[in-house]
Amino acid sequence: MHSDTTGSWTPVALSADLPAGTVMPVQIPAGSLALWRTDSGHTAASADRCPHRGMRLSHGFVRGEALSCIYHGWSYAQAGNCLRIPAHPGLVPPETIRVVTHMVEEADGVIWVALGRPEGRPPGLEGLVPLRSLTALANIDAIAAAAGGKTSPQGIVEVASGTGTICLLLSRQDEDRTLIHVLLKGITDQAARIAAVRSTESLRRKAEDIHKKEFAQ
Amino acid sequence: MKLYDYILSPSCYKIRLMAALTCVKLDIHPVDFHPGAEHKGAELLALNPAGSIPILEDDDLVLTESSAMLVYLAAKAAPEWLGRASAEEAARVQQWLSFSGRLTASLGGARLTEMLLRPGDIGALQTQGVLALRELEAGLVEQSLRGMRFLAANRPTVADIACFPYVVLAPDGGVPLDPYPAIRLWSRALRGLDHFIEMPGIHRLHELKPEPHIEPGEA
Amino acid sequence: MIDEWYPVGLFSQLDPAGRQTALMGEPITVGRDAEGNTRVTGGNGRTLPVRLRYGHVWSSLGEPKKELFAIPEADQPGRRFVDVGVVRVRCSPLRAVENFLDVAHFPFVHTDILGAEPHTEVQNYKVEIREDVDEVWATQVKFYQPQAAKSASGGITTEYMYRVPAPTCSVLYKTCPPRPSEWDVITLFVQPLAEDLCDVWPWMALFDDTTSLTDLIHFQQTIFLQDRSILENQIPCLLPLDPGMEIPTRADLTSVAYRRWLKRHNYTYGAQLVAQ
Repeated sequence: MHSDTTGSWTPVALSADLPAGTVMPVQIPAGSLALWRTDSGHTAASADRCPHRGMRLSHGFVRGEALSCIYHGWSYAQAGNCLRIPAHPGLVPPETIRVVTHMVEEADGVIWVALGRPEGRPPGLEGLVPLRSLTALANIDAIAAAAGGKTSPQGIVEVASGTGTICLLLSRQDEDRTLIHVLLKGITDQAARIAAVRSTESLRRKAEDIHKKEFAQ
Repeated sequence: MKLYDYILSPSCYKIRLMAALTCVKLDIHPVDFHPGAEHKGAELLALNPAGSIPILEDDDLVLTESSAMLVYLAAKAAPEWLGRASAEEAARVQQWLSFSGRLTASLGGARLTEMLLRPGDIGALQTQGVLALRELEAGLVEQSLRGMRFLAANRPTVADIACFPYVVLAPDGGVPLDPYPAIRLWSRALRGLDHFIEMPGIHRLHELKPEPHIEPGEA
Repeated sequence: MIDEWYPVGLFSQLDPAGRQTALMGEPITVGRDAEGNTRVTGGNGRTLPVRLRYGHVWSSLGEPKKELFAIPEADQPGRRFVDVGVVRVRCSPLRAVENFLDVAHFPFVHTDILGAEPHTEVQNYKVEIREDVDEVWATQVKFYQPQAAKSASGGITTEYMYRVPAPTCSVLYKTCPPRPSEWDVITLFVQPLAEDLCDVWPWMALFDDTTSLTDLIHFQQTIFLQDRSILENQIPCLLPLDPGMEIPTRADLTSVAYRRWLKRHNYTYGAQLVAQ
């Protein structure tokens, strides 16, 4: 997480996991968000709750530049305003119907969501190639301990692997859960990348063991 | 071909889905699995002593294992779904066909317990289900690094159809799918296939159709 | 709400061993004694009141002041009575009923069966709380349906009437394709296990001599299972009774009346009262 006095950025997903025209649920400390990408490629993050009946918008669908709720098809623009209520085709939805939205930034293959209103931009990750995201039932300390490394100020744990480095960009989901974005530095051939996938599975098992023994209540 | 079918059974859905994707017409015979427990009645036990459904009948061939039914449908109607282009591909198909049994036991068991009140150790079933989902997720990430979008190849095979239903219905058994981005992409790719059909619990991908323009009063 | 009647099991599936279940947080047993009488026993061993109606066993933790609501069609000759069986849902029992009262979700959740785009418009209909019977009623609800019932072939505009005679029960009257002068009856009986967990027992009384019983059951199970994944993903889990938390439109007038009726009677088990 990258904080200044007014807010912070948290990495919620890899760009490759959110193709155009799709929506996915992501977690921030305040709860779940619907992270979505329009057909034309813009990313947006909305509260994961349709104000009509409380249905999670991450179960919905993206058509064109709007996100629609799966329950009644109410659709929302990137700015959060309601565009359409299919039960009342003639009605222009009032401005008061809207979902809360968060700022989104996408850089170097990682999608970041703003908590509050951070002044700066999320840190650059030039030279790192995203591999995958996975969730561990472990806190950040347990993951750092399992990796045998320390967390950098950027929230990255580095693990040497052959000629390169596996970088773990960590995002706290709650006390016992961490989202790990795995990024590779200097690991380019297919066999080594597949080996890195397997080593992250091992690392997660180890971190979860440590967490269970040392941190869990 | 006659399928003894229960609309809410993910195993039966595998066969309906495979038949739809390969344009095979099935003669569907609905079985009152819940609440009637017809699959444990004398008539169906005579056909399948194990007391499970689906059962697929074609002349004197009686199949009671869903993976065998998938292979039969593919071999008859669309051999490209068998995934036999290479030794690795054939082996991967077998690997995931066997693996699908673990999905049935874990996620399927959790679903029956949570939804239809069948006895079961729900905590253990969910834990096993999570382990299986993690394995599938890692397998799909590896496949994408090989340039392949599906479990055994860069096209869907019977292995994908064997694994898809219990995975996509995992939330029915209280196992969330939120933490698995590769599974989400794979599931979406399958749901977008021509002739794909849903089962209850899998919603239509409405984005595959353009938004209709509706004038009030037309409905 | 404790003095209301609730469904606790299928009459046809009673056995001497008894079904261990729960009612509003209290463990109960539903079974049959040596003489063949249906017995419902509460957590401390006390005997609870019993009614056997509409294919189900009904009971209450309190002392019901009213008889179990009437469904006159349940005694009408020529109807087929269908026990659809139980489905458990992690949701408020009140949210399960409210979803049953809603037609606007048909094109998106029951796609190509109970509704389909572009036929999404909900025309005006009538809603009232009938003071004489103390029930919520919605009438003249019309909706275009591609396959309204198992017996329907092709799309028709279906007419519905909804009735809420008890806080966790709803009765739906629906155009009956084989017999236009009659209504098909489809009910949703909800057993509140906890405020956020329920067992749902759909039941039907239909005029349909051609469709097999299994097909009828599967049709209704299909519909309900399509709703289940919605019901388990609404936030908050409890039904908000105070305005402000959710935004209704004209299409939601049945739900608005249902919430108002719940609040008036203090039927708040499974409800959230203050917006959080």
